[in-house]
Amino acid sequence: MKALSRRSLLAGAGAATLFGSAAPARIPPAGISPLVGPGYRPVDADERGMWQQMARVEEEIAGSNLLVKDAALNAYLGSLIGKVGGPATRDLRIYLARIPEFNAMMFPTGMAVVFTGLLLRMRDEAQLAGVLAHEASHFLLKHQIRQWRDMRRKTDVLSFASMLGGVVGGAAGYYTGNLDQLAQLGTILTLFRYNRQLESEADALGIKLIAGAGYAPISMAETWEQLTGEIELSAAVRRKRPDRGYSIFATHPAPRERMIDLRASAAELAIPGRSYDRGRERYLSAIAAIRPTLLDDQVKLNDAGASQYVIQTLAGDGWNGLLRFYEGESLRLRNTPGYDARAALSYAAAVAYPDAPADAWRWHGIALMKAGRGEESRAALRRYLSLAPTAPDAPFVRQMLAS
Amino acid sequence: MRLMVPLAALASLGLSGCVQTQQYADLQFAPPQGDYRLLVLRPDVQVGAVTTGGMVEARADWTEQARANVVAALRAQQAGRGAQATILESRAALPGVYAEQVAELERLNAAVNQSIALHKYSGATLPTKRRRGLEYTLGEVAIGFGQRTGYDYALFLHAQDSFASGGRVALQVLGIAGCFVGFCAPNVGGAGQFAYASLVDLKTGEVVWFNVLQAGSQVAGMKMGDLRTPEGAAQLVERLLGRMKPGRDIRRAQAAQRAER
Repeated sequence: MKALSRRSLLAGAGAATLFGSAAPARIPPAGISPLVGPGYRPVDADERGMWQQMARVEEEIAGSNLLVKDAALNAYLGSLIGKVGGPATRDLRIYLARIPEFNAMMFPTGMAVVFTGLLLRMRDEAQLAGVLAHEASHFLLKHQIRQWRDMRRKTDVLSFASMLGGVVGGAAGYYTGNLDQLAQLGTILTLFRYNRQLESEADALGIKLIAGAGYAPISMAETWEQLTGEIELSAAVRRKRPDRGYSIFATHPAPRERMIDLRASAAELAIPGRSYDRGRERYLSAIAAIRPTLLDDQVKLNDAGASQYVIQTLAGDGWNGLLRFYEGESLRLRNTPGYDARAALSYAAAVAYPDAPADAWRWHGIALMKAGRGEESRAALRRYLSLAPTAPDAPFVRQMLAS
Repeated sequence: MRLMVPLAALASLGLSGCVQTQQYADLQFAPPQGDYRLLVLRPDVQVGAVTTGGMVEARADWTEQARANVVAALRAQQAGRGAQATILESRAALPGVYAEQVAELERLNAAVNQSIALHKYSGATLPTKRRRGLEYTLGEVAIGFGQRTGYDYALFLHAQDSFASGGRVALQVLGIAGCFVGFCAPNVGGAGQFAYASLVDLKTGEVVWFNVLQAGSQVAGMKMGDLRTPEGAAQLVERLLGRMKPGRDIRRAQAAQRAER
């Protein structure tokens, strides 16, 4: 029994080093190309089954009341994913869901779902194009069916091997249960590892696609740099240890690893002397109508560190009234002594910009009132009323001003 | 002595297949009879193959075949009860009603079904609902839907079926063979049928009847039904909807009537 457990340990260690290393090697963009052409339809039985199941899923998503119904914005996203969709330009659909998280996903049939939290964090069209190209690459490289087949093959082999091992062991009077459990763990680790490899593939093809469409290839690395910074600050404010995503059970490579690999790939793809498009103005005008909602949803998540990081990162391209106002909101909602004064400074800064939202004047007025500056406060609140005469609290503010 | 284990294992093969249903009804529920209008909302059917490793792989051709069979069997069964049944294949197929309103009813029903599954079937019973039959309602949404469409009842149905692949059967054979050398795995299992149906009274909005069917075998390769054939689909519809029991109050009233006679 002793000998067996020592052998099991060795086998386990072997399994971990062979299959479990958290960071797969970088996949060079030059060596990767789409596996599907325009108008792709599945032929094999397993893939047809998968596509059929997805038909109802898409019907459900397309009719979801979480979707943002801004027609111009949806058309913009649709044309952008087409621009970086390689051969699948006309086959990709995109749905924008109002969920304040950094996420986007691709389904096997070419349907992508993007969360509003992603649009909040992107600084320009090039960064968004990078994420959409990554998602398009999952479709172009047939990732879901390849993952399913990998899982099917490995679980087939595992079940047969453990049954056969059990029978042989039974005949020889040898207990194989421990080895069997180790083989299970090893299999699970290789499944996660394969998933991380597919993510690296999607990064490699994605960056190639955006470079081909004329976007700065470095923009994909920036996205991960921004996410890493946000995770660090979010954890620091909550006094927690940041989850940096290094794990043998992770489905995606760690953000920092992705950033490093994407930087190396960008260096390979960037043509010196060429000027790349960032599309910042186009992007900002496309999201202009929902940007207040994006910021509002974020500050109400009660994740002060993340909100602060996101707002300051966006302000890296220049402050404006909207960003200053939501900086103030994020500080005020901390509800911690000392932060009120900092919030008041943000509101005061916000109203100095011509694009300050009406609510900035409201909170500016309230902050002035608390500070005992009655006359200035009344002026600010009057300004609020003139900007938002039908606000739900307008009668109260009028009452306040009259008394 | 050494043969005892395999013999016992073989004996258990015959017992390990089973079909079971568990239905609940509103206390006042009388199974619809005679001339009534029934709307069946998009029967959801999925059929797949069980891989050697035990995962279910969806099969498009089997699913299409099974869905057509189930729809035909439902039509025949309801006609036998006197119903004018409409079977809705898509959300947009109902005249005068927006696809979104059908979607709304479906989603509401799905949420209520989850509740029923949790509190009636998964053991998390609620003390306030004990011995009260089925006390769930889709409320105003369902009543409004009934008024707009003129249907008396709505029926929701989900059915899934799966079959052991050749590899899975081989694994089972190996597991049984192992019984002769002292490593016995006679119940590899994995395939079988699972279905549920809920009936909503569109006049009151209440979920008046709910049934869950499980049919399967612990031995991979043994079938207890097959939705891919018309007979198998008719069998499933009969098992699921054929024996609709009235609610408790109605049953008691019927028993009292019989006693008087």
